[in-house]
Amino acid sequence: MSVRSMVVTQFERVAVEQHRMLARLSDELRLLDSGLDSLSFALIVARLEDALGFDPFDVAEDVKFPVTFGDFVRLYDNHK
Amino acid sequence: MSSASSSRLSIAQARSPQGADCVPASGSRDAVYFGSGEHKLFGWLQSPPASQASNIGLVICKPYGYEALCSHRSLRVFEETASALGMPTLQFDYLGTGDSGEIDAQADQLNAWTQDVIAAVNELRRRTGVQQVCLLGVRLGALLAVLAAGECTTVTSLILIAPIISGRRYVRSLRTAQLAAASMSGGTVDDTDRTDSMESSGFLISAATLAALSQTDLKTRAPPTVPDVLVIDGNALPGASEWTQQLVTAGTRAKYLALPGLIEMIMTAPQFAQVPHEMVAASRDWLHQLLSGSMTRAARRIEAVSPTSSPSMLLRTGGDQPVLLTERPVFFGPERILFGILTEPRQGEIRRRAVVLLNAGADFHIGVNRMHVTLAREWANRGYVTLRMDLAGLGDSGTRPGQQDNEVFPVAALDDIRAAVELLRSSYGAVDVTLFGLCSGAYHALRAAAARVPVNRILMVNPQHYFWKEGTTLDDLQLAEVVHNPRLYPRRMLSGVAWKRLLGGKVNVLRIAKIYFYRPLLALESFFRDMARRLHIRLPNDLGWELEEIYKRGVRIVFVFASGEPGIDLLKLEGGASVKQLGDCFRIHIVEGGDHIFSQSGPRAIMKKIISDELFTRS
Repeated sequence: MSVRSMVVTQFERVAVEQHRMLARLSDELRLLDSGLDSLSFALIVARLEDALGFDPFDVAEDVKFPVTFGDFVRLYDNHK
Repeated sequence: MSSASSSRLSIAQARSPQGADCVPASGSRDAVYFGSGEHKLFGWLQSPPASQASNIGLVICKPYGYEALCSHRSLRVFEETASALGMPTLQFDYLGTGDSGEIDAQADQLNAWTQDVIAAVNELRRRTGVQQVCLLGVRLGALLAVLAAGECTTVTSLILIAPIISGRRYVRSLRTAQLAAASMSGGTVDDTDRTDSMESSGFLISAATLAALSQTDLKTRAPPTVPDVLVIDGNALPGASEWTQQLVTAGTRAKYLALPGLIEMIMTAPQFAQVPHEMVAASRDWLHQLLSGSMTRAARRIEAVSPTSSPSMLLRTGGDQPVLLTERPVFFGPERILFGILTEPRQGEIRRRAVVLLNAGADFHIGVNRMHVTLAREWANRGYVTLRMDLAGLGDSGTRPGQQDNEVFPVAALDDIRAAVELLRSSYGAVDVTLFGLCSGAYHALRAAAARVPVNRILMVNPQHYFWKEGTTLDDLQLAEVVHNPRLYPRRMLSGVAWKRLLGGKVNVLRIAKIYFYRPLLALESFFRDMARRLHIRLPNDLGWELEEIYKRGVRIVFVFASGEPGIDLLKLEGGASVKQLGDCFRIHIVEGGDHIFSQSGPRAIMKKIISDELFTRS
């Protein structure tokens, strides 16, 4: 399963769990408009860490939270 | 104080939350205060009848922050389940959380709260005479339970639900939520903050705590010297299996289970949160075995202390001229199932002004970000009697027969608010009463004023509804969505992927169609309502008419919105021309950079100042 597929799966799973209406996931979708909140993202990142074995936010240097869904996927892709 | 008020709830008085898990206990549930060092903590003591009481008690160690808000009602089910087995049970708030006293913002919360757990163990022994204590902790509370067990020989067993094994990883997840929240509200988290304190979902974690957490890893510590441990992981986010194996290797009788329900209990908004029935059942069975094996049922009781009949806590406010405030828990209303915490101003206050703080969604009476506690204490410091209350079916109030648990818009809410206002008017002689609420709390404040509940001011933050049709659920299409979402869809219509999803049946077409259908209808309806109002024809559910009527009665009406909140447009559409025509005592404020629950301290401070200024303004 590709990183993108895993990310998509977690977005969809968390949206259902959190009773949130998930927007269509495209690269240009701003996470602000995704329908998820900050805690949903914390949950997604924790789950992806379990699945992929790393957390791209666990770095010493400053890391900005991705703005779009595409940025989010790339953050994981680039970290592999 | 009226003698009709009490801080004790007979278990028979009110149905427990979603209480299918336990046999109804027949003891009592008392609100109590007790000391931890020089501070006071708030808690709930469940006492089984003396003849059934075990001499093993249970202390419940809550998770922290948003997780504590979400799990509030579920933890009560754990509490009642243990009590039904005959275990005296104490659930409490750590210092600086819930209804307990305030903590120094620089303090190491991990250390302070570990000491609080030990204080709770000692208090349970003192009040009930139990000789051994089991700690039941959830997430951070489970970590605290392990740390406390290492310092307290009275603790002989542990139930750890989704324990934080690595403090560092816990901090990282909070950090991610903080980054996401800042990003989504258009702000950033300064990198220099990394070594400073952290705010997660509006709850503060000090720099000292972050440092202590980062050094805490259960896998590298000596295992707790407790003979019996039950570890229950959430099967959707397991993390404690390896550590449990370490316990077994070290000779602990440790049992590991991975069960469903964790996310639904602690990470799902309170109005949607669910009791983790399988976890409750597993805990009950394990405790039952523990009690059977210990042969201690109905053992001798040492000098047990009865709960005081009127518990209260003195709070010393900060500043140049510290003031002593008094807080006391109260059950009120005709059925005595409504719960709240009263904060009384200093002795001798003669202005007789009061504020009722209403639930935001299904959050219990401390409010989002514990905002109701800080506001209640600030306002009491300025001379107001404040009551932060739970509507029936929410928080620590009982649920009426036939009523749903955790219902955000209960049909009897008006009666509950009326009872609160009556309590303040009759017991404190309040002549000036304000209602304050955020989200659904704002809705209820408006409805109460419209229904002529005798109030002088309504302070409303981020309402998303002005009318609520009975039978509607939170999952139904809301007008707030109608006014908010049309901005999003046009962009998506240009996307090929969007059409692919649409044709693949992955889009709720009916919902989107409804949104586009309703939006122009709303505008049209607003136009006709304005026309009708000019002709003095009153239509049903006419917000403009209601606002005018409330205003004419001299009630000050204040709305505060975070920018971009759908309630702003909805107020304009449903209130129509009336919104522009009302005078100085009708105010609308917009706060830039806030989110729906004002989870970040900057915008929240602005909102709180606006609300306080509006409260203190004499019209």
